[in-house]
Amino acid sequence: MDQQLELLLEIQDLRMQRRELTDGSTDLEAEVFDVKIEDAIRLLDEKVEELAERLARGIRDRYRRIADKAPRVVAPVINGICYGCFVAVSTARASEADRNLRVESCEYCGCFLYHVG
Amino acid sequence: MQLRELFVPSAINLDLAAETKDEALKELVSCLGLDGKSEGILYKMLKRRENLGSTGIGRGIAIPHCRSLVVTRLRVAFGRKLSGLDFKAIDEKPVRYVFLIVAPPLEVSNQYLPVLGKIAQFGKEADVPESLAELSSPEQFIELLEAKDL
Ligand SMILES: [Zn+2]
Repeated sequence: MDQQLELLLEIQDLRMQRRELTDGSTDLEAEVFDVKIEDAIRLLDEKVEELAERLARGIRDRYRRIADKAPRVVAPVINGICYGCFVAVSTARASEADRNLRVESCEYCGCFLYHVG
Repeated sequence: MQLRELFVPSAINLDLAAETKDEALKELVSCLGLDGKSEGILYKMLKRRENLGSTGIGRGIAIPHCRSLVVTRLRVAFGRKLSGLDFKAIDEKPVRYVFLIVAPPLEVSNQYLPVLGKIAQFGKEADVPESLAELSSPEQFIELLEAKDL
């Protein structure tokens, strides 16, 4: 897998974790797991920023443009469908071995694409 | 959807080889049948979640959990280490029972949080640690969930 894509994937998973902490699992995390929500959010923000700084210039610029507007920066592609916009993406033509070997974006919604499965 | 329908025998390990928390996370992730790269990413995410606070909820039970793009559906696994693992649990006691829960960012049926809640509740029942200690096969684990109507 492309290393930049791997970074983007990690960033996306952490952003998801952050979003869920404020909107979804807040009570569960605080009450069952004794997570200090504000501290956790701060840690996640710091980690996301640290990873974003490791992105190559062009990809980082694109990442920031998407990240400012939408919660999702990387969309999974499952069976050729971009799950950011639910449109079939042309990159689905790529053979399985070629998948995730470079950073690609959805031409419709702009999300970076990660082929799953 | 009942909890027991989510557990497959290949993801129930009653005798973990792991000696540490990290090894236990790796061993449970490896039960899910993902490719090596995905396993690595998932392990990293689980570790990052542990960094926010241990998922060891006390009484020997831990519930590591996260969402990740590398899985396409909700996946669960159970591992047991009777000699105990240092999980930095809330009660500082060793963890002997580990429930792993991972889900994709988007799920059609939105089961992740309900499943996490159900397992946490199950883990808090008084007789559960003892019942888990007595299991001798994955099938008995499923039967235990069935007996609890889960
Ligand atoms: Zn799209």
